[in-house]
Amino acid sequence: MPGRSAAERIRRAIALINSVADEAGDEEITPTEIAEAIRDCLELSEVDAVPNVRRYLGEALDAVSDGMPADFVAMTLYAALGALREGPHK
Amino acid sequence: MDSAHRVHALPGGARLVVEPMPERHSTSVVLMFAGGSRLEDDRLAGVSHFIEHLYFKGTRKRPSSKEIADAIEGVGGFINASTDKELTAYWARVPSEHMALGLDVLFDIVANSKLQEADIERERMVILEELRMYRDQPQDYVQNLFEELVWPGHPLGRDIAGTEESVSRLTRDDILEFADARYRLPNLVVGTAGSLEHAETVRSVTAALTLPPDLDGAMPATPPPDVDHPHVQVRNLKTEQAHICLGMRAMSYLHPDRYALDLLNTVLGEGMSSRLFLNIRERLGLAYDVHSFTQKHRDTGYLGVYIGVDPGKAVDAVNAALAELRALGEREVTPEELTRAKEFTKGRLRLELETTNGVAFWLTYQELLLGEIKTVEEELALVEAVTITDLKRVAEEVLRAPIQMAVIGPFKRDSAFRLAVGA
Repeated sequence: MPGRSAAERIRRAIALINSVADEAGDEEITPTEIAEAIRDCLELSEVDAVPNVRRYLGEALDAVSDGMPADFVAMTLYAALGALREGPHK
Repeated sequence: MDSAHRVHALPGGARLVVEPMPERHSTSVVLMFAGGSRLEDDRLAGVSHFIEHLYFKGTRKRPSSKEIADAIEGVGGFINASTDKELTAYWARVPSEHMALGLDVLFDIVANSKLQEADIERERMVILEELRMYRDQPQDYVQNLFEELVWPGHPLGRDIAGTEESVSRLTRDDILEFADARYRLPNLVVGTAGSLEHAETVRSVTAALTLPPDLDGAMPATPPPDVDHPHVQVRNLKTEQAHICLGMRAMSYLHPDRYALDLLNTVLGEGMSSRLFLNIRERLGLAYDVHSFTQKHRDTGYLGVYIGVDPGKAVDAVNAALAELRALGEREVTPEELTRAKEFTKGRLRLELETTNGVAFWLTYQELLLGEIKTVEEELALVEAVTITDLKRVAEEVLRAPIQMAVIGPFKRDSAFRLAVGA
């Protein structure tokens, strides 16, 4: 199913963010790792098949670079995930 | 409070409201003028507030601010003034035997102030400092930013004190011209409440009237333009807390649903048993300060939510507040919530009317802005008549308006806030 792998990668990035917000994991997750997870999403060509997904991912990446809080980045990633679900690749 | 007030037409088109409260030791006098910052164009922004400050600088009879203050404080009284968007009020609260003094000082400052160039320059510096100080109070300043979004490009969306640019530019001629146009008897309602006697009060006030009787041209208040889309404004400041104000346009103070709006606001965010407080602060632990409020003008108003929150929880707190707002339009409030909101509203009104000052302001405000005075009993009956269905209907109507949101905090970006409100 097209879009599935992109959705999985976005979910993974959100999970990383949430573990930072919850201070849950044993290992400390760095902004670099989160940025890597978002870049993984951006590498997929399918993110261009649905409007706004690349834009939201780009904004999430910029937010990580600027040190924005975890809930801020997560909200932007959820928007990308939502756009992906609402797009033509349901 | 019984309903002993009487309204008298005074010479020149002014009106007088008298409320005897014989058991009190004080009498409060309010001179309330229609107008305020809403009538100012961009060039004159802040002139009403500037004039209010200048009227305490000295008159021919009392040449300095000290002499004005001494006149009232010398008998243990209080004197002050405030400028709002649709009115300016000057008031004094004095021991009842000194009511004539209170009237004399108030009419003296509004009719005989010297407005000297030196005082204007000194006060200009004070107001510029006031404007700058306000910017250092983000919990207040964020409400200004929010109002800019609710009423963009309109005087209602501007700080009552004006802008640094406008205040720096105002000339003595601007001030004299505006004061002469606004401080006229047809724009004035005098309110008195306390240990006083009707006929004597009418005589004293009539004798004190010293303002021009006719209006000097029309200064209509233009309605604010429609706002069709949600907007977000983020001010990136290195504050410890994020300060957020969000909401949407709602009913005016003339709208028949204003009572339902106030009760809806109480259910949402007034007090420590409101939904916002219980859910966002107590249950989720997201914010220290969260509450809602309304602002109403002649033809417009808004329902707003303030959140003071750790920047790391700001987006979550915004989403939680939006969820509470949406819930008002999705499900009816419970009978217990409505009862609590009514008792809260009725109790607050009664407490507000414990002092002579509270009564004088309440009556004068109604006469000036609403054109009629409801008794406490009539007002409480209107609150009591609101139903659960009314609240749901009003919530649905209010929630159709686009959400506006202002944020002050350490945020270099605004994307998540825009996404939250669909901007």
